[in-house]
Amino acid sequence: MPRDPLRTKLCDMLGIEYPIIAFTHCKDVAVAVINAGAFAVLGEAMHTPDEIAADIRWIRERIDGKPYGIDLVLPASSPLEGGLEDLESKIPASHRDFAAGIAKRHDVPEPKGPVALHRWGGLNQQMARAQLDVVLDERVPVFTSGLGNPAFILEAAHARGIKVFGLIGKKRQAEREIEAGVDAIIAQGYDAAGHTGTIGTFSIVPEVAAIAGNTPVIAGGGVTTGRHLAAALCLGASGVWTGTLWLASRESDEDMIIKEKLLAASAEDTTHSRSVSGMTMRTLKCPWTEEWAKPDAPRPLSAPYQMLLSARYTQAANDHRREDLMYEAAGQGVGFVTSMKPARQIVFDMVEEALGAFEERVGDDA
Amino acid sequence: MSDPDPAASSRHASRPGFDASRAGRRAECDGGGGVPGTRFAGREEFAGTLTGDYVDHGDPPWRWYLLAELERKPEGYPGDAVWCESGSLFLS
Repeated sequence: MPRDPLRTKLCDMLGIEYPIIAFTHCKDVAVAVINAGAFAVLGEAMHTPDEIAADIRWIRERIDGKPYGIDLVLPASSPLEGGLEDLESKIPASHRDFAAGIAKRHDVPEPKGPVALHRWGGLNQQMARAQLDVVLDERVPVFTSGLGNPAFILEAAHARGIKVFGLIGKKRQAEREIEAGVDAIIAQGYDAAGHTGTIGTFSIVPEVAAIAGNTPVIAGGGVTTGRHLAAALCLGASGVWTGTLWLASRESDEDMIIKEKLLAASAEDTTHSRSVSGMTMRTLKCPWTEEWAKPDAPRPLSAPYQMLLSARYTQAANDHRREDLMYEAAGQGVGFVTSMKPARQIVFDMVEEALGAFEERVGDDA
Repeated sequence: MSDPDPAASSRHASRPGFDASRAGRRAECDGGGGVPGTRFAGREEFAGTLTGDYVDHGDPPWRWYLLAELERKPEGYPGDAVWCESGSLFLS
């Protein structure tokens, strides 16, 4: 066994001690993970360009020159329809009635303020470009494309010293992005939270590793323990992409109700459903997802129509902090998240367990 | 997709065009995008025929093609065409 099985190409590329990437929407988590010797990527897809710039400055001030990453969602398809009013007018009455029935059966209150969906107005190409311009202008060390192919921005990013990682769910997407010259590929399996593909982590990671050549592969989807880290490296990955792991950390800004739900949840408490957005996503089960899973429920609409139906429920649940209604994206590894630890401790525990797993297999004097 | 805005700054300007070599080609699109109002994103798959119409967004150009006559689309998708980012298109 090598003296340090956790020293990988990814560590060398980024100048980090541990091949662990935390994907988080919380700046405090990102800073704690980075300062613990791992790497963090801040999810900024739903932030304005000004907010992204402010968050970048906030992180930079706290990590003493260490590298960090920013994740955006690059849209890969876009319907022809226009404004929200046009879209809402196309929702069938049967679906409106079913959503109203859920609200009645579960006593869902009215949201306290305007539904966030209506304030945002959707992610379009212009918004994505404006977000990307901040990443380029700020010369963020690592840009990760959480969805969509970043090939078109590679030359501009590399010219500014920015490394670009692409997150994929299929082998052909990896082939396309490796050929374009991404600096690393995040191979995300079905176990993951949020927008997963349909291929399991244990299949997609070695499949991509086999074609990646010198491009580091990062394993995502269900990675929550040191044993997962060790397994990912044995599958051919150079590191791991972790998300659910950090949601219930001490620094996380998740609502305490959500943290408690995550700590209590097992893999069976997650669902892979189109009921929230019209696109398959893995989240914690909640009354909304369970109602749409019933045999007599209408089939969920496509995006963005289904989101227009679910947005009121989601906002009401959060505005009123209704424990029985609230949900969050969570991967199948959520069952391993059992205590509210500081992010730094999560990093060290993961490293220790991974090293222990290697020693257990091959002996510490091999 | 928003209509191209010729009045936008050059950095974000949208420029429509037509690529005859792509018109009539069958293609698949590994699509998807952000879910408005949430921190989530989702994947969607389409298959159909390229019309040849495209739009370049901004500089460096980010090219999108119009995929029509959809033979595969997400369940409940109401339209028969979709704009697809060129890097997410796979020609048959």
